[in-house]
This record gives sequence, C-alpha cells and structure tokens, in this order.
Amino acid sequence: MELNNYQQEAFEYQRKNIEKYGKRAWGWTIFYVLCILVGLYALYLQIAKGHGVTGMRDNVVWGLFIVNFIFFIGLSYAGAIIAGLLHLSKVTWGKPIIRLAQFMTLVSVIIGPIFILLCVGRFDRMHHLFIYPRIQSPLTWDVMAVITFFVGSVLFLYLALIKDFAVYRDAKLNIPKWKQKLYKVLALGYRGAASQKRHLIISQNLMAVIMIPLAIMVASILSWIFGMTLRPGWHSTIFGPYFVLGAVYSGCGLLIVAMWFYRKLYKLDYYFTDKHFTYLGYVMLILAAGYGYFTFSEYFTDWFASEKWNSELIHKLFSTSEYGWWTLFANAAGIALPIAIVAIPATRKPGPITIAAFIMVIAMWVKRYLIIVPTLETTLLPMQDTRTEYVKYAATWPEWALTIAGIASFLLFFTVMSKFVTVVPVSGLEDTHTVHEQHLLHPEPTLENTSKA
Amino acid sequence: MLFTLPVWAQTDSTVQQETTEAPATAEEEEELVSPSIEFICIQKGDKSVDLKAAVKAKVQGKMRKLYGIKTTFYLITDSAEAELGSVISDRNGVALFNVKPEQVVANKEGNLHFKAVLGEVKKMESTEEEVTVKRALLSITPVKEDSLYSVQVKLIDLSTGEETPVPETALGVFVKRSFNPMKIGEGTTDENGEASVEIPNNLPGDAKGNITLLVKLDESETYGYLEAAAVEKWGIPVSDKIEDQPRSLWSSHPPLWMLITFIILMAAVWGHYIVIVYELFRLRKEQPNTADNATNS
Repeated sequence: MELNNYQQEAFEYQRKNIEKYGKRAWGWTIFYVLCILVGLYALYLQIAKGHGVTGMRDNVVWGLFIVNFIFFIGLSYAGAIIAGLLHLSKVTWGKPIIRLAQFMTLVSVIIGPIFILLCVGRFDRMHHLFIYPRIQSPLTWDVMAVITFFVGSVLFLYLALIKDFAVYRDAKLNIPKWKQKLYKVLALGYRGAASQKRHLIISQNLMAVIMIPLAIMVASILSWIFGMTLRPGWHSTIFGPYFVLGAVYSGCGLLIVAMWFYRKLYKLDYYFTDKHFTYLGYVMLILAAGYGYFTFSEYFTDWFASEKWNSELIHKLFSTSEYGWWTLFANAAGIALPIAIVAIPATRKPGPITIAAFIMVIAMWVKRYLIIVPTLETTLLPMQDTRTEYVKYAATWPEWALTIAGIASFLLFFTVMSKFVTVVPVSGLEDTHTVHEQHLLHPEPTLENTSKA
Repeated sequence: MLFTLPVWAQTDSTVQQETTEAPATAEEEEELVSPSIEFICIQKGDKSVDLKAAVKAKVQGKMRKLYGIKTTFYLITDSAEAELGSVISDRNGVALFNVKPEQVVANKEGNLHFKAVLGEVKKMESTEEEVTVKRALLSITPVKEDSLYSVQVKLIDLSTGEETPVPETALGVFVKRSFNPMKIGEGTTDENGEASVEIPNNLPGDAKGNITLLVKLDESETYGYLEAAAVEKWGIPVSDKIEDQPRSLWSSHPPLWMLITFIILMAAVWGHYIVIVYELFRLRKEQPNTADNATNS
C-alpha cells in the first residue's frame, strides 16, 4: 500500500518500535508478569480458601474489586467516547492520539470485567446468567452491555488498524514470519482500492457513531447497578451522567499520561505536541468543572435534606476520623488541582498537566472507593454482630495483590500492543501535509512551530 | 447403630461454623468430649409437658452445639423409671419431646421428675441430666369488654392433689411472632392466683386477624417453666399472600416494555456490528489482484 511522504516518514520513524521488542520492554514485561504471578497466587488462595481471604463480608460485600471494575471500565468508555468524537469531528490534531484512546478502550474492557469475576463466589453458576437471565435486573443489563461493548471495542480498534496492517504487510519489516503472516491476515487484503476505501469508511463511521451512545449507555447502566438500589449515597437520579462524566474525565487524564509516557519513551514529541497536552488539558478542565459541579450537587443535596441514613453517610465522608481526608484528597486532587494547573498559563505545560492528570486519575480511583465502601458500611438494619471486621471494610493483601496484577496486566497489554502496532497511526495522518512540511523544515519540535501547525 | 450417627457441631457465634467432623470421630482428639445438657421442662396449659434438652460441648477449644445426638427421656416416679421416648437433636443442638397429659405422673411429693440421657457416641462421655419441678398449671382466658382486650391468667399448684392458688408471682404475656414471642405485658398474681393483663388492639395478625397469646412463667425455682396459649381474632388482618410484582427480580417475567426496549437496543447495536462485519467481508472480497490498482490510501 502506498503512502505519501509524511505517512512514510511517520512509519519509518516508528518502524523500529514494532521491529524490535527491546531490552527495556522485556524488562518491564518480566516485571509485569511477576506482578501478575503474585496476583495469580492471591487468586489461588481466594479460590482455595474462599472469599474469607478478602476483606469482603456479608455487610460490605463489595470492595477493591468492584472499585477497580468501575475504574477500568470507566477508562474504556472514556476511550471509546474520545476516539469516536475525534474520528467523527475529523480534527487534524486529534489523529495521532486516536490510537492511544482506542488502546485504552480495548485494554480496559478486558481488564475491568476480570475484577467482577473475582467478586463472584460461585464460578460454577456463571452460565446461569445466560441460561436464566433476569432482564429486569441492572446486573443483567450490565453483563450484556459489557459483552456488547467489548465486541464493539475490538471492532473499533481493528477497523482503525486495517490500513496500518496493510502498511506493515507491505513494508518488508525485519520481523519473524509469523508476525508477517499475521499482519497479512489482519490486513484483509486491503490495497487502498476505491471500493475497499468506501467499505472501510462506512464501517469506521458506523462504528464511531454507535460507540459514543453505546459507551454512554453502558456507563449509565453501570451507574444504575448502584443508582437503582435504595442505599444512601447510591440512590440518585444523577448517577448516570455522573458516572459518564467521571469516566470520560479519568479517561482524559489517563490519555494525557499515556501520551506523555510514549512521547518520552518513543520520542514522539513531533506527533504528541505541546498543543495536544494543552487541548486535552482544556478538555480536562471542562470535565473537572462538570464533575465538581455534580459532586457538589450530590453532597449538598444529601446534606441539606438531612435524611437519616444519607446524613450518616455524609458524616462518614467528611469526618476526619473516618473518610474525611480521602474525601478531601479526591476532591482537591481530583477536581481542584487539574483546574488550577490548566487555568494558570504558567503551569499550562505538558509536565505539570501530566502530573495533575496522573494525580487526578489516582484521586478518581479513590473517589470510586468512596462511592462504594462507605455506603456499604452504612447499614440500614441494626446489626446483631458488630465485630469491627463486619462493620468496617479493610482490603487484604490478596485484594491488593490482585489490584496490582490488574494494573500490571493493563500496562503489559499496552506494552505488547505498542510493539505490535505503531502508537501513532501511520495511515491516519493523511491529512496533515502542512504539518509534514514544517516537520521537514524544523526536525526538532517546538511549541512555536507545532502551534502554527 | 449409634456409632454411625452423624454428629454435627456448631459454634455459639452468629457465624455458624459447620463441620462434618464429629467430635466423637476425630481421631486426633485424645480426650473424651464432655457434653453438657441444659435440661428444662415446660408445663403447658393443656396439662402436657415439653421436655427440652440443649446439648453443647467444648470441641477444639470452642463451645459448639451438638446436633444429630440421640437423647432419651425418662419419667421417674417413686416406683419406676419409665422411658418416654427418644429425639435426635436439631441444628441448634436442641431435642424437644412432648409428654402427653395422660403420661404425666407426679411422685408422692407432687413433683414431676424427668431425666434426659444422651445416646452413646464414640469418644464422647455418656451424660445425663435430671429435672424436678412441682406440678402446677397456668391457664389463660381472653376477655373482651367493649373495645378493650385483656387476658385473665391463673396460676395454681397441683402438687397437693388440690388446686392451690399461687400468689405474688410475676407472669409475662406475649404474642407469637415470626421468630420469637414478643412481650406485650406482665402481671402479678393475687391471692386467688389470678392476674389481668391488657392486650393492645393494634397487633398485626394473620390473614384472618388471629393472634396467639401466650402467658409464661420462666425459671421459677419451684415450678420451672409454665406456659399457656390462646388464639383470638383480635389482630389486624395482614395478608401473607405474595402479590404479583412484575418488576421484582424474582418475578418470572419482566415488564413487556422493558423486554421490548432491551431487545430493540441490543438488536440496534448488534445489527450495526453485523453490517460492519459484512462490510469487512466485502472489503476482503474486493481486494485488487495487484497493487497496481491501488490508489493512495
């Protein structure tokens, strides 16, 4: 498949990344695999000894696993929405980052549901979900939605990769034969013929159109697992949009972090420019403001109404002897910090924006914890047995080990995928000839020349 | 045969730990298990007697309720020891046996004397427990005056062969609920052995409004436990019929609109997927024979 000069240059620049795995990548891969092995040992303990090895009990029935599920699945929805919007809006600057967003979508939708499986006490009855589904249960909706979304994510990423697979196939890369054959199979015989282009464009547009409402819908369904129960802190009409916004917000933060990381690692400064950080920073600022508004609205309404159980929950969340410091961190680092960093021109730079985004992503994880655990610790019925471990949740080392294994799996997937396909889509850069010319004139990227582009 | 009986133990805590390992069959246990019996007899208003034996033992450092243990009950009179029957203890370690009125025989002193003996189990000490109480009778008579409900309760001593009122004794009045009886009042007997206790008129009853009223004397040093019951239509009828709730998780079918919406949404999304996969098949089918036909992508 033929490429124009700019595409060719982009491909040649990234060729080495998919030709060689590299010592550093191997080093990290081994580290991630070790983390996963520790997690697998924890999983073995959980299966052998039961859920008693976790901090989950009959009162606080959900813990770290469900927090991780919401976190990862939220990243996935965010990736789909961001990639879909960038594809449909056809903004030139967005093209280099679409693939990262799509990576995030697929990897997260694989990792996230694994955490749900870790919560399941009876694996042997998993198939009952499909044999005896309760359509009236939000849990059933979520299972169906996540499966549907997973298939959509695979298709979405694959469609965007077909042209690049054709490029890799024709490029005579110095790679093993199996990899060459795999590229050939995955390229589906794409040669850039007009009819093939048409089929691909139709498919990509259809997919982008369907992925955005699908992501919004499945994020809402996820929120309804909580919102449709009569628990304090969960039963809220704004939980759907709150979760959607929270997902896109944390996803936007992770995209900035991933962009910064690959920019440094693969020296992609020319493709992931300062402008990308600034623009995504603006998006992050707007989302932070929206998320802050929703959060304030949630807390303020519950506090003002002073309904018994909601008041107790609010007290827990704001009491420094309970979750007060975590609430402060989630809101200060998760909302105020990104707004401040992006709003101040002096800090509106890739480094500070990335740091703010990284801290925000952690704060958003904490926020998910604060949504789940304190509510479950607020029992509506008096408990007969009030042993501390029954009332209060404390994550155990197997839960932490499995959480770290999940994060390691996420990073491992990213590492492997970035060695299988180029991080910046080669064929997707077809409309950036102007940038290309400037790139040739100014090989070293600067804020000045990239902003002109 | 007793050796083959499965013996189960439970802890006293809320979390019930079950084990199929009988204290008696645990090979590593060198010491014999010493069970204890909490044995009481309850004299009922119909002149029958309930014998209740709660069996416990310390096993592996924890006090456990033993179930699956055969408990045999005896009536001891002045001249003989008659076996009344045997019961296997339930999951709470309780063996309950009802002695019919015609079987209840007091000794010369007018006392009822019973014995509970645990069946032989390997590596468990044989244990027995006795209880002796004075023969007495507690009765309950519901009284309705206008809209006021009350019960007239009477406690009499039968140990002398005559009906002797028992004065100055506190009695509790209860109403039966799903789990345990709920206390609704108490009274102290007068010189005639009688007391009157008012009953609330807003108690939830069964579907017909029936409530079961109980009067109880607990842990009396002389008489042990006594109780009598009466059923009256004094409650507010509460239907126990499960109403059809189509939105509930346990209903057999979801609401139709929900099913239709679900199918439409899933069909819309998966329909898109099918179209996309079909487009990919066409893309593959239409690949040019040579790269010469290709245009710049």
